[in-house]
Amino acid sequence: MTKVLLIEDDSETAEEISAELSDRGFEVEWSANGIEGLDKARSSHPDAMIVDRLLPGMDGLTVIEALRKEQVRTPVLVLSALGAVDDRVRGLRMGGDDYLTKPFALVELIARVEALLRRPVESRETTLRVGPLELDLIERTARRGDRAIDLLPREFRLLEYMMQRSDQLLTRAMLLEEVWNYKFIPATNLVDVHMGRLRHKVDGPGEVPMIHNVRGSGFILRAGP
Amino acid sequence: MAGGDLAPVTPSTSRQRNPMRQPQFIHSTTFRWALAVAGVLAIFVIVLFGFIYWKTDSYLIERSDRMIARQLHYIGDLPGGRQLDAIAQHLDQDSRGVQYAGLFGPDGRKIAGNLEKFPLDLKLDESVQSVPILRTLPGGPQTRVIRAIARSASDGNALVIGREVDETREISHVVGQALALGLLPAFCLCLLAGAWLSMRAQKRVEEVNQRVQRIIAGNLRERLPHRNIDEPFSKLAAIVNGLLDEMETMIHALAGVGNDIAHDLRTPLTRARLTLERGRTNATNLDQLQSVVDKAIANLDQSLSIITALLRLAEIENGRRSAAFGSAPLHEILREVCDIYEPIAENKSVDLRVDVAQPLNVLGDRDLLFEAIVNLVDNAVKFVPEGGKVGIELIHSDDNAIVRVTDSGSGITEQEREVVLRRFYRSEKMRSTPGVGLGLNLVAAIVKLHGFRLVIHSGPGGRTEIICPDPRPNSRAPATKTQASLIGKLEG
Repeated sequence: MTKVLLIEDDSETAEEISAELSDRGFEVEWSANGIEGLDKARSSHPDAMIVDRLLPGMDGLTVIEALRKEQVRTPVLVLSALGAVDDRVRGLRMGGDDYLTKPFALVELIARVEALLRRPVESRETTLRVGPLELDLIERTARRGDRAIDLLPREFRLLEYMMQRSDQLLTRAMLLEEVWNYKFIPATNLVDVHMGRLRHKVDGPGEVPMIHNVRGSGFILRAGP
Repeated sequence: MAGGDLAPVTPSTSRQRNPMRQPQFIHSTTFRWALAVAGVLAIFVIVLFGFIYWKTDSYLIERSDRMIARQLHYIGDLPGGRQLDAIAQHLDQDSRGVQYAGLFGPDGRKIAGNLEKFPLDLKLDESVQSVPILRTLPGGPQTRVIRAIARSASDGNALVIGREVDETREISHVVGQALALGLLPAFCLCLLAGAWLSMRAQKRVEEVNQRVQRIIAGNLRERLPHRNIDEPFSKLAAIVNGLLDEMETMIHALAGVGNDIAHDLRTPLTRARLTLERGRTNATNLDQLQSVVDKAIANLDQSLSIITALLRLAEIENGRRSAAFGSAPLHEILREVCDIYEPIAENKSVDLRVDVAQPLNVLGDRDLLFEAIVNLVDNAVKFVPEGGKVGIELIHSDDNAIVRVTDSGSGITEQEREVVLRRFYRSEKMRSTPGVGLGLNLVAAIVKLHGFRLVIHSGPGGRTEIICPDPRPNSRAPATKTQASLIGKLEG
């Protein structure tokens, strides 16, 4: 069972997060302050950690820094009410692997924890394969079965990102941050519009759809139906 | 020193006054300065008087010395017999009793004159010296120091002429009196002026302090007192009043923004509340309840995105990001914006075009400039009717680079142009389109942070421009116009 350590001082928030994680089949351990959290992180070896930035006793970033100094590489998702770009950059520099600003949707949190747990391993493979879909990273070409797919550069990057994380829920915010690299785009439907075009190219008429829209949360690329 | 001057007026220190009950003005810098000036003045006057005394004294002695020397030569040059008469005559003419004369034989015996003995230390070398003599007065013999000169005649006699220089005493008496009469009142006047000035300043400071306390207490209308503009204190008060005017306007503006924020946040929150309330009463099955909750969440998200946008605006307006300035390629940013927006425009059958004449870098934050341009294009795509056109151009003239976003929509009216930069302003016709109404504020803030200019043109067809002066990076120091245009031509 995957173990997640949650360090969050607000008990109500912590309860909701724990309940949601348990529903998804995670084993959750909870600490309400930084010092206790750090002890638990050392003793129980969790697979992933969710750490609030502002904690009584010891600041969340200090906890992460301490762990990183001890060569603990457990992936950490930083939660924070501070949303400014600088705060985010600092959170990531101090050893956090991902940064989520409060308030957030629970779906978003779960998707990010899962993404952290299933980070794509560095591979020398130059071809990505998901079911009938094939992406040649050198030639910059894509094909589904025998059919060649003509992709624009941005669409290629989007598909590459999704194929590296197949069977995984990718939220709009994650895609915006990772594929477009811009966090402040006024068009709220940007991801949907681009995804719509990609889907149109990937899932031809009569073929089994591979890109699935998960209502209200994001997209999944799957080999099967 | 300044702290000592101000300390008594701040409320915290006025409670713990000096237990010695000294008047406050003594501690003021103004008074201390007055005291110092009075001291320096006194020293100066004393030195001056001393100098005058010394000069006058030596002049008088010199004159008296010349006189007795002349007398000595005159009497000494007379033939032996007439000398006695001359001495007697000389002494007779002296009504003040300051003249001395004596003729002594070779054996030191007195022949004539009013000196009983030849003065002890007097040399016979015809030079004037100060010597003590013994003089018989009605009150008894008295030692006096006089100026005297002596000469030995050919017959072995010695002639002595002397004079008592009592003027010196008189002069020192006069000088002392003048000093007392002149200096003391001047010194007192100085101190009085110092005390008065310092008390006056203290009174003004106290007055200002009271007004400031009232401002702190919340009375923003309060102003500092000022009478005429030429007085430094009034000048300062006028400057501070100007500042207070500006701040009052700003605070009112902020309060207005606060009201706008409250209104814009309340709208979606009210909707969410109503939806939830009605759903709780009316929903009879899970599907209905879920749709109610979805609607409520959407409204909460809208409120949250307003807060996010406001925080973002504050972040940019505070200019915290200027550290990330570097060479930002405008041409690439424009192409990227077009790349991202093309599918969105196409969905609306809007023809989106980018026109870049040549690459151009400016000094700035790449991400922020992207954000600004994306917002302009987003607005244009939103406002233009279906089937319309939106153009993004990068133009550059001699010393300006212009990013121009045009659309074939109806544009904005002159009146609207005034208000589009207001926070939360959303065109009446756009009420149904999603958005927060802070896009242009964001653009304006980013443009201002970079020192660029945002120009919104009115009239048919939307046209918005970001004007970046001196488009060369690494040379933000304003080059002269000729230099800039020369380089522009060379580059062109």
